Amino acid sequence: MGTESVIEISGLSKSYGSGSKQTLALNRLDLSVMRGEIFGYLGPNGAGKTTTIRLLLDLIRPSAGSASIFGMDIRADSVEIHRRIGFLPGELSLWEGRTGDQIIHYVASVRGDARGIAKHADELAERLDLDKTKRVRDLSSGNKRKLGLVVAMMHSPELLILDEPTGGLDPLVQQTFHDMMDEYRAKGKTVFLSSHVLSEVQAICDRVGILRDGELKAVESVEKITNVEFHWVDVTFRDAVPAGLQGQLENMATITDVSTNGTRIRMRMIGDFDPLLRAISGGYVEMLHVEEPSLEEIFLAFYSGDKEKIQ
Amino acid sequence: MIGSVFLETLKTTWKQMVYWGVGLAAMALLVVIMVPLFNMQDMRKLLESFPPVILAMIGVGQELEIFATNEGFVAIGFFGKSALIFAVYPVVMGMRVTANEEDSGTMDVLLSLPVERARVVIEKFLAYGVSCVGVVLLIYLGLHLGVFLGGVELDVLRLAEVTFYLIPLMVFIMAATVLIAVLVRRRTVALGIVTAFVIVSYMLQTIGLAAEGTVAESIGVVSFLTYYNAGDILSQGFIWPHIAGFVIVSAALVAASLYRYERRDIGI
Repeated sequence: MGTESVIEISGLSKSYGSGSKQTLALNRLDLSVMRGEIFGYLGPNGAGKTTTIRLLLDLIRPSAGSASIFGMDIRADSVEIHRRIGFLPGELSLWEGRTGDQIIHYVASVRGDARGIAKHADELAERLDLDKTKRVRDLSSGNKRKLGLVVAMMHSPELLILDEPTGGLDPLVQQTFHDMMDEYRAKGKTVFLSSHVLSEVQAICDRVGILRDGELKAVESVEKITNVEFHWVDVTFRDAVPAGLQGQLENMATITDVSTNGTRIRMRMIGDFDPLLRAISGGYVEMLHVEEPSLEEIFLAFYSGDKEKIQ
Repeated sequence: MIGSVFLETLKTTWKQMVYWGVGLAAMALLVVIMVPLFNMQDMRKLLESFPPVILAMIGVGQELEIFATNEGFVAIGFFGKSALIFAVYPVVMGMRVTANEEDSGTMDVLLSLPVERARVVIEKFLAYGVSCVGVVLLIYLGLHLGVFLGGVELDVLRLAEVTFYLIPLMVFIMAATVLIAVLVRRRTVALGIVTAFVIVSYMLQTIGLAAEGTVAESIGVVSFLTYYNAGDILSQGFIWPHIAGFVIVSAALVAASLYRYERRDIGI
């Protein structure tokens, strides 16, 4: 990861409507994305991820603040910026009556290098196993996504902006996509992607930012965040939950949020499993289920005062 | 690359242009073939028996001599009553310049490419303008075909003026549609406003024609359809001030669309 920032956002805000109907979609966002990094942009639906991306692409205009890409203003220099970026929207819409080949040719001709770009598009389509001869309306959602990825990447942009890039892709193609991202990073290129898939973010991102209600809550390295080890544990006993077990677990320093439901007991656990296994040995354990927390849960735990306790 | 949006728009539009053109040409052909079935003097008497408001509704003013000719019959039968039909094609195309692509989401993909918003609007507008010319050419072909198949005595050159006068009219309607779509944003609302605009213009033109020689005649002045009157064109040829008016107003409408589109959010 370089030291030069590719995306620089300062106090960026966006509100929709006016008067009493005004809603704040993004509130004074400050963010830097460095050259050569893969930055994961996370948050629940309606958090402001797509608004941020559409602002960066100059599709919508900020209510306040500013942003630059490659040191150029996103409004004044949008055409030059767009020449050097590739974009995949979250809700991808392509020209339904056109084939993949026709769309690739159209986009390449607007970009101004139809031949060179089309050749690279062929390579990408082959890697993603995309049939470019079909009309968009005849493609499955996964194949539309593949076509969107080809269109975004075919001119080898310096910066990729991807909104939920792997939604609808099968696991094999997702792996190919992860490999492509690794290659991008190796070439010193930058990726800004929104996602809510923990395994994907862990696999490909260097840093992540989490957005909630239009505000950036945290920016941290994926490594640091995912080192926070807690799990949700579900224990199902054949008979009733042993008497006094809930209280015993609640008194343990590494266990919180204990709840029982019939023969099941659920808890959040930090660190080693051995103390838990000893505690539940008094009953006949029918099933033990360990669940990884979502990245958002980890973030919230990390930044909500549990930080010291968790570490 | 300059022209790529223009070419792509033409590629995706030529079929609709042919369908519309062939349909309207078939109507023109039918009207021309019917000419020998009518005695034009009887036709004049029939027109004279109509109250002015009915004549106005079919686009006829009070100079009836011009309509008691073969060319006049075609002018009434095709160009007069079809004024609203000619408005549909440019409205459909005008909605495609920005509204349809914003509504479907493809505008996000297009504007993420290195292309100015103004260039997208201008190239698409020009392409749809060319398709309007294509429709008009097919209509003119339909008139010729009618003359050939029906063996009709018809001064097709005089009708050429009425036919090609449709081009500035259609371009104006398209420009008005683009501006309304850019201002209103929501496709269905924009379509409703454009439809109302055309129908109200038709009503005002009808009132103006029906009330010729009275104070109410001036109401027609505000309707753009008043400046496309088949009878006037047959008797006077191209009315250049009207054509210049269409061109200048269309250019102003497109300029206003560009100004607004450059400053507003896309797809909101």
